[in-house]
Amino acid sequence: MLKVEDLHKSFGTLKVLSGITTQVDQGEVVAILGPSGSGKSTFLRCLNLLEQPTSGNIYFKDVRINDPQCDILKTRANIVMVFQHFNLFPHMTVLQNITYAPMKVKGLSKEQARSIGIDLLEKVDLAEKADVYPSRLSGGQKQRVAIARALAMQPEMVLFDEPTSALDPEMVKEVLEVMQSLAQSGMTMAIVTHEMGFARKVANRILFLNDGVLAEDTTPQEFFTNPQCDRAKIFLDKMLK
Amino acid sequence: MVDKKATVPRSRRRQFFRMAALTCCAVLFLSGFFGQSFDHAIAQSPKTLTMGTSADYKPFEFHDTSSGQDKIVGYDIDVAERIAKDLGFELKINDMDFNGLIPALQSKRVDFGMSGITPTAERQKSIDFSDIYYVVQNTILSKKDSGLTIEASLDGKIVGTQLGSVQQEVAKKIPGAKLETRNKISDLIQELNAGRIDAVIVEDVSAKSYVNIYPNLQFSVLKGNEGGYAIAFPKGSNLVQPFNRAIATMKQDGTLKQLDQKWFSAQAKPTQSGFQRILPSIPYILGGIPVTLAFTFVSLFFGVILAVILAMCKISAIAPLRWFANAYTSVFRGVPLIVTLTLIYYATPQLTGYKIEPFQAGVLTFALNSGAYVSETLRAGIVAVDKGQQEAAMSLGVPYRLMMGDIILPQAFKNILPALANEFINLLKDSALVSTIGAADLLRRATVVGAETYLYFQPLIIVAIAYYLMIILLTFGTSILEKRLQKSA
Repeated sequence: MLKVEDLHKSFGTLKVLSGITTQVDQGEVVAILGPSGSGKSTFLRCLNLLEQPTSGNIYFKDVRINDPQCDILKTRANIVMVFQHFNLFPHMTVLQNITYAPMKVKGLSKEQARSIGIDLLEKVDLAEKADVYPSRLSGGQKQRVAIARALAMQPEMVLFDEPTSALDPEMVKEVLEVMQSLAQSGMTMAIVTHEMGFARKVANRILFLNDGVLAEDTTPQEFFTNPQCDRAKIFLDKMLK
Repeated sequence: MVDKKATVPRSRRRQFFRMAALTCCAVLFLSGFFGQSFDHAIAQSPKTLTMGTSADYKPFEFHDTSSGQDKIVGYDIDVAERIAKDLGFELKINDMDFNGLIPALQSKRVDFGMSGITPTAERQKSIDFSDIYYVVQNTILSKKDSGLTIEASLDGKIVGTQLGSVQQEVAKKIPGAKLETRNKISDLIQELNAGRIDAVIVEDVSAKSYVNIYPNLQFSVLKGNEGGYAIAFPKGSNLVQPFNRAIATMKQDGTLKQLDQKWFSAQAKPTQSGFQRILPSIPYILGGIPVTLAFTFVSLFFGVILAVILAMCKISAIAPLRWFANAYTSVFRGVPLIVTLTLIYYATPQLTGYKIEPFQAGVLTFALNSGAYVSETLRAGIVAVDKGQQEAAMSLGVPYRLMMGDIILPQAFKNILPALANEFINLLKDSALVSTIGAADLLRRATVVGAETYLYFQPLIIVAIAYYLMIILLTFGTSILEKRLQKSA
């Protein structure tokens, strides 16, 4: 479904990604791991063009989405992202956060957007918070709302950029559970995470990035039991200690 | 002291020359620059004559606010009414700043001007005059115990005149006198009472009025300086001859003498205190509050709209838009408001043929100016919105325009609310500047009542209190609003 060819990204003279080639199939859950500064987030952000690749190709369903001719807004509405810091709109209620883009971007009626929104809020177990403002929610609740907001666009793929890194430990679980049930529903997902247990349990594949290159592209089983490169071994050593 | 008929004011506060000349230069330069003037576009309907006057010169022309209503009355008004009637016209009165009279005549905004205008050679270069309809003399106004009653006694003394006035030229010829100038006669009187000036040269009507108010003052006629008032017209006006004939008739049939009696005998000595005397005019002064508030609100409203556009330009990826917005801000922050205001008010009719009203000119100026200031604040407010907000909107496929309007700007406005409240308060105070182009705001009304009653401080104290209370209320209101917004965050 998603194909990446020789992806390069530099910020000025700083080279962040140096030639990444991989692909994600429909329904696949890919965990992107790697030490900090390895380019994981930048790679993820290239996938829905929050960052424009310096060179290389990204195809989504055989359409080259980093082509200047391609409608960037459409791509983003279809490959949505969930952020580390939630980025909920503070001046809108929970339900308004969720219904805003479906109404304004996809042109759904208020009733349609509302029914989708309430449905999703029930799924993330926050139906009773529909009319409160984000400032009244805990971190875990905020992230679940952010996931619901992303899903309200009825996307074909969801990108998660360290979705639990900004959470207090006791709230990590509620968010991971939501993500797990989303994975089980067959959603195509790419997740940058430091939750090794979650990656191992939920992901179909592991991409291990090191210094802007794809050092390993393998199954969780293989990666966690028998990592190939030294950098991955050191990384796992530190993370699983 | 002096015979009433002979003792009448003569020149007037005429900073005139300077300001009018400057304004004219600017206007002429601009209209020349754009290669066109639109005189014909400003033609009047044939049955109306528009008279320009600066109704702050009792008893020639002044606002009578003692009934709580506002009406322009006076000697000049009666003369004009009579002439208009004789010639078969309706009279329309256009009140403006004295400094604006010559530009108004030149741009044919008015058909003639009567405002106690002394014909001088200088003025005759730019406008035409009728025969003199009122004879005036200059006087020395001084404290009673000073003994300054003849020209020779002024040797070595500090002598005050109004800036740009005819008296300024007269005073220059007094041997040994040290000259001081002020913008208004009322300023000179305060200086005289404070002892910073020894004597003031004013025309006799003013002198008489001030002696009525301040019993410690005296005046005596300054010999050899007789002049008078004439009606002013645009250059080449065909009204000069008919007006001269009408004036001659009124001299012969005693009309002018009657008017003299009517307006110059009735100045009774005040028996009440200053505040008691302006008491009937207080409703009129406070009537300026809605004007000032409306002016401030409308200006800020358009200013904020402009600020949003400018702020968008400033954060735009398109370089020329950024250049434009930055240049705009730089210009409007770099030019004093009163200069912009004067230019817009006097240049607009010359350039476009549209006779912009004082209120409109004020709103335009203040909106343009406030747009520049608020845009800078707003830009900072936008930058202060968490970058994640933009990314979240982008990653949901929200187009730029919607993202700005629905996500970023609401948060930016919340960020800058205190600054915006400040701007509003500044604007409210700055709005007093529109009084200079004759818009009937609080300050203008205080000046009008001051000219009518010859009282200086009392009307100003009333408007000072009114401004202060408005601003206290506003500050209070905005702090409540801020607290409420903080809670919802």
